[in-house]
Amino acid sequence: MQSLKNRAAIINKIRKFFATQNVLEVQTPMLQNYPLSDVYIDSVLVKINGKNKFLHTSPELEMKKLLANGLGDIYQICPVFRDNEQGSNNFNEFTLLEYYRLGFDIFQLMDNIIELLKILGVKHKNLRLTYAQVFFEYADIDILNTDFNALKKIAKTHKLSTDFEHIEDLQMLLFVHLIEPKLARLPLVFIYAFPQSQSALARIEAAVAQRFELYINGVEIANGYDELRRGNSYQQRFEAEISKRKKLGKTPVNLDADFIENLQNPLPQCSGVAIGIERLLSQI
Amino acid sequence: MQLINFTHITKEKMAHYSTNQFKNGLKLMLDGNPCSILSNEIVKPGKGQAFNRVRFRDLITGKTLEKTFKSGESLEAADVMELEMQYLYNDGSAWNFMQPQSFEQYAIDANAMADAKGYLVEQDFCVVTLWNNNPISVTPPNHVVLEVAETDPGLKGDTAGTGGKPATMNTGVIIQVPLFISIGDRVKVDTRTNEYASRA
Repeated sequence: MQSLKNRAAIINKIRKFFATQNVLEVQTPMLQNYPLSDVYIDSVLVKINGKNKFLHTSPELEMKKLLANGLGDIYQICPVFRDNEQGSNNFNEFTLLEYYRLGFDIFQLMDNIIELLKILGVKHKNLRLTYAQVFFEYADIDILNTDFNALKKIAKTHKLSTDFEHIEDLQMLLFVHLIEPKLARLPLVFIYAFPQSQSALARIEAAVAQRFELYINGVEIANGYDELRRGNSYQQRFEAEISKRKKLGKTPVNLDADFIENLQNPLPQCSGVAIGIERLLSQI
Repeated sequence: MQLINFTHITKEKMAHYSTNQFKNGLKLMLDGNPCSILSNEIVKPGKGQAFNRVRFRDLITGKTLEKTFKSGESLEAADVMELEMQYLYNDGSAWNFMQPQSFEQYAIDANAMADAKGYLVEQDFCVVTLWNNNPISVTPPNHVVLEVAETDPGLKGDTAGTGGKPATMNTGVIIQVPLFISIGDRVKVDTRTNEYASRA
């Protein structure tokens, strides 16, 4: 009971915060014609009126359609669904807060998240470290300048698997093994400036992906980007994921033609973030 | 008595366990040593594949180690058994135990005995861990009764034991005991902490 009341109070405060900042609440369709192309996020297939549909894994693409069509600052709190999730911090159904701020870069968006967290009662001092810094500091690895083969040698010295097709997967293994346990000592830290290989849907500037993740007590809470703007940039990123899926023998997916079609106009410059509500609640 | 030599064992092909079958207490081979899983956590980066972050106890060295696997990787099972056995006697080079059901006897060397040898009382039951039917470690009961072989004389009038003094037990282990304990006293010792528990 108490946890339900606590959750409702937190959600109320989030809504109030966005109201005072003139960010509009939206609700976008959960049923999608195409599954997500991300290699490691699997969409749930549902049959509706005899047709295959997919539950959204995040409201990101639908909200970006709104942004491309001229809607300004927007947010959404909604359940999302992912197949093949397991573990104590990964669920097939969970709640995301997703929001976009026009004209913000990732640093302004981090400031804005801190403002929001303060209202929710999180008052820890926040640290901001680059992806390269944490690897230097905690593992003595020059992650941005170490190639795939050299990284495999490092993995070997830690007796970790080197059986990877793509450098980003090995980077993530080293992050999970060497870095994340150290982050558990930090109450609140933003990791930003990711390697290009992990750019996801973030813009690349100054040779790094303009992307950040928020960790509270070592648990990943949020993932934010300075968003890609043009339809063809999205198409390239999707196609890269689709071919990775093929290479790894994962369920093949088709390019999301609905999304690309809706991006005739590019997005305005904006940054957006997805925050896992249940994970946040477990850490504040 | 049966003394088993590693090299004479014909090794059967062992089963493998995939990360999604990992659970606490599962015994697996890691870098050539049998290990027991202490904890298993699935970690999935926002944009990445799932990994299993696993803490193991190496059953040979007793050390704790942490490894991270790609979900779906698999490891060879370790043929490890834990059996309750009765301690019989020390023959000068080995400690001899008997399994009460089968009357099978095992001679265990100093390596596998490690710290356990300081807590052994004849006829007591210990847990013996076997790997490929070879003893690799011995866990004594949580509490054992030992006799004080040597200690400084106690102070007169001290009954509560505010301070303490070292005492050597008949098994060789040294523990802190209250001041009123003297040579020949029997005391109860907690083998997990090497601490005095009470007079026996």
